[in-house]
Amino acid sequence: MTTELVMPSGGDTPPPAAAATPAAGGLPPSESVARQTWQSFRRNPLGLVSAGVLILLGLVALAAPLIADYPSGYGEEVLAGPGAGHWFGTDDLGRDVFAQVIWGTRVSIVVGLAASLLAIVIGVLVGVAAAYFRPADLVLGVIVDVSLSLPVLPLMILVAALAGPSVPTLVVVIAVFSWPEVARVVRSQGLAVVPMPYVSAAHVIGGSHLWIIRKHVLPGVAPVVAVSVVLTTSRAVLSEAGLSFLGLGDPNSWSWGTILHQAQRSGSLATAWWTTLFPSLAILLLVVATTLLAVAYNDARNPRTR
Amino acid sequence: MRTFRRALAVAAGALSIGLAATACSPGNPDSQAGGGSGSADRITIGTTADVLNYNPLVGNSRTDTWVTNLMYPRMMSMGMDGVRSPYLASKWEYTDGGRKAKFTLRDDFTWSDGEKVTADDVAFTIDAVAKEKIGVVAGLISSYQKSTVISPTEIEFQLSQPDGTFLENVGFWMPVVPEHVFSKVGSVQKFANDKDWVSAGPYKLTTVERGQRYVLERMENFPLIEGGPKTKEVVFRVFPDVNTEALALRNGDVDLIANALPPPLAKTLEGDSKLKLVKVPSLGWAHMQYNTAREPLDKLEVRQALAAAVDYEAIRRVALQGKAVSSNSSVLTPTLKQWQDPSAKEYAHDPAKAKSLLTGAGFKDGNGDGLFDGLSLRMIYDQADPNISKWAQLVRDSSKAAGIEIKLEGLERNTYVEKYTARDYDIYAGSWAIMENPPANLALAFKCKGFINYANACDPELDALIDQARGQLDQAGQKGPIQQAARMITDKVYDNVLYVEEFTIAHSAEWSNFLVQPSELLSIVNPVSVAQATKG
Repeated sequence: MTTELVMPSGGDTPPPAAAATPAAGGLPPSESVARQTWQSFRRNPLGLVSAGVLILLGLVALAAPLIADYPSGYGEEVLAGPGAGHWFGTDDLGRDVFAQVIWGTRVSIVVGLAASLLAIVIGVLVGVAAAYFRPADLVLGVIVDVSLSLPVLPLMILVAALAGPSVPTLVVVIAVFSWPEVARVVRSQGLAVVPMPYVSAAHVIGGSHLWIIRKHVLPGVAPVVAVSVVLTTSRAVLSEAGLSFLGLGDPNSWSWGTILHQAQRSGSLATAWWTTLFPSLAILLLVVATTLLAVAYNDARNPRTR
Repeated sequence: MRTFRRALAVAAGALSIGLAATACSPGNPDSQAGGGSGSADRITIGTTADVLNYNPLVGNSRTDTWVTNLMYPRMMSMGMDGVRSPYLASKWEYTDGGRKAKFTLRDDFTWSDGEKVTADDVAFTIDAVAKEKIGVVAGLISSYQKSTVISPTEIEFQLSQPDGTFLENVGFWMPVVPEHVFSKVGSVQKFANDKDWVSAGPYKLTTVERGQRYVLERMENFPLIEGGPKTKEVVFRVFPDVNTEALALRNGDVDLIANALPPPLAKTLEGDSKLKLVKVPSLGWAHMQYNTAREPLDKLEVRQALAAAVDYEAIRRVALQGKAVSSNSSVLTPTLKQWQDPSAKEYAHDPAKAKSLLTGAGFKDGNGDGLFDGLSLRMIYDQADPNISKWAQLVRDSSKAAGIEIKLEGLERNTYVEKYTARDYDIYAGSWAIMENPPANLALAFKCKGFINYANACDPELDALIDQARGQLDQAGQKGPIQQAARMITDKVYDNVLYVEEFTIAHSAEWSNFLVQPSELLSIVNPVSVAQATKG
C-alpha cells in the first residue's frame, strides 16, 4: 500500500495526529507518486495511443453535428458500397453508414459512461461498506456472489424487453448487472486498507465512520476504482452493442449496436459487409483502447511493474 | 506479454459481435443423407422459428401453420385471387335463406391410423372451437348454433342469422382434427398434441428436434395428388435468422426458404442462377392504426394530418424496394380483385396540409422547435419485423417534417403482443397476413369491440354496413355495402393502409412444380404445393 492513499488532505475536523501517521512508512509523498505514475505511463506507447484514441472518440462524439448530418429519412442509393460519396457505404434505406457510425459514437459512449458511472457508484458503496463494516460483509458478500453467478445476458435481455427500448433503460439495465464486479474488487482493496494503522489511529482520535471512509478508505480504493471505471465502460459499451444488436436498443437514436441490428434485420448482413464492418471496428477500437489504457495505467501505478 | 494477450482477447470479443451473425449457422444434421437437399427423397425447408404449438386449432405462428397445414386438412383451399377451391369439401351451399349451411366432403381422406375422415370429425372440431372459443376461428363463426351430421360425407350447420361469410370462414380457417384422438383429451384448447400425431394431410410429423429440425413423412394415400406426395420426407430446419437461411440455400443445405425474403436480400439473390424466386401476393396489408379511444387521436383532423404526413411512395420504393403495391388507402386490396373499389384514392403525402389540419384543430408550435406542442405519439411495432422496422423510421422522419413527433417503440414480440392486446399505444404499426373475406374480416377489425379492432373504432354507421354485407349470401350482394364500409374506413382514417406486399420466396432451381397460393402462410409451402413438387 502506498502513502498517497492514506494522507489526509484537510477537510472537516481533521484529527491532529492523523497527518503524522503515514510518514512512519517512509514512502514518498503523493505528488511524487503521481509524477512517477505519469512518467511511467508516458513511456508506454500503447497507453498513450489508447488515450489518444479515446480522446479522439470523445471529440467525435462531441462534434458529431459538425462532422456529419444526422442520418434520417432515406436515400436513393440503397446498399451502395463504400465510395467517395459515402465513405462507409449506405444501408438498406440509403442512409450514410459513416454518419450512423459518427452519431452512434455519441450514444455508445454516453451509455457506456453513464452505465459505468452508475455501476461504479453502487459497486463502491457496497464494496466499501462490506470492507469497513465487518458484520455487513457476510450479507453483502452473499449478495455480490449471487449477483455474479446470475446469467447476466439473458437477464439483461429480459429486463430490457420488459422495460421497453430507450437509452435510460439500457443505462440502468447495464449498470444493474455490472456493479457486482466493481463491488468485489473494491471490497478486496478495502479489506487491505481498513486494518492499516492509520485507520485505527483515526478511530482512536475519534473520527466518525463517515469521515474515516471519506478521508482514508475511499482514497485507498481510488486506484482500483479508476481502473474499474475504464474497464466497466468498455464492458458497458459491449453490452449496449449486444442488447441493441438483439433489437433491445433505442430505435429513436443511433448507436453502434443499432447499426448492426438494422443490418442483421434487413437481411443485408451477408451481402453488404460495410453495414457491419465499420460499426464493429468502432466497437473494437473503443474496447481495445479502454482495455489497454487500464492496463497501462495499472502498470504505471504499480512500483513493481513501473 | 500479458497485456497483449488481454488486448487480443478483447479484440476478438468485440469483433465477434459483428461477425457472429454472418458466421453462425447451425450444424446440418441432414448432411449425411445425400447432402441435405440433394436427395429426391427429401425436401428441406428453412424456417426461423420452432413450432410453438402442434395443436392446429391453437397454434398461429408461421412455422406452426406451415407444419400443421401439412398434417390437418381444411375444407377449402384458395386460389391466387382469394377465391375458395375444394380441398376436403367437394361442395358447399346455403339453404333456408342463409340460416342453414352445408358441406359435402370427399370420401377418400383417411387418417394415418386408418380411420376415415368423416363429417363427424368436422362436427367435433367446430363444436370444440365454438364451445371453448378457440383462436380466431371462434370469432369468425359467431352465427354458428349447431351441426347435424347427415351422412359420413355430409354435414349441415344451423345458423342464428343469415351469414354469408360462414362457409368460407369455416372452410378456409378451420383445420379438421381427428375426433377419435382429440375427443379423449379433455379440453381441446389445452391439448398440446406434441407426440403420436395422427394426420390426414400429405405428411405426418414423426421426429422433432427442437431448435434443429422437424421431420415429416409422406402419407401415401393422400388423395389430392395422384399416386401420393412425390417427395418421401419433408424436413423443416430451424435457422437463427433469414441471413443464415439465405446462406444455407446458396450452399445447397436447404431447398426452400419458407419465410418471405426481406426486399434487400431478395434483390441480391435475383442474379443467382442456382435459385428461383417466386412472387407471392399478400392477402393482407401493412398499416398503421390510430387509437381513436385516446386524445388527440379521437379527432378526425389529427388522424387526417397523420395520414397526410406519410410518404407512401417512398415507403414502397425505398423500404420495400418496389416489392409492394398501393392499396389506394383502402382495406379492399388489389389482390382481392372481386372486391376492389375503383374509386378509392390514396391519401396524399402533403406535410403542409398536415400542418394546416393540426393548426385548425388548435395545435400550436409555441416554442418554435418545428413540432406542435403536446403532440408526441408512441408508435409500437414488432422490432423483429424487417419491413415494419424500416418504414416505421420513415414514418417518424416524415411526420417530423409535418410537425408531429412520433416516438418509436420497437418491441420484443411478447411485449408487443401484450401492449397491442391491452391497446396500450397511440399508433399501432403492423400487418395482416390474411384478410381474404372482407365482410368477415371487417367485422373483426372495425366493429365496436371487434377482436382485432386496433383502432378502437366504434361507429354505428360502419357496424350497420358490415352487418348488412354479412347478411347477404353471395359476393354480389355483399360487395356494395362492403365498398361503402371501406370508403368510410378510409375517410375517417380508422385504418391507414400503406401497401400490399409482394412476397418473394426463394427455392433451389433443382426443384419445380410448386403450386403458388397467395400469402406468406400458403405461398409454395401449402400442402398441395409441397406434395406435388418434384426435383430435377
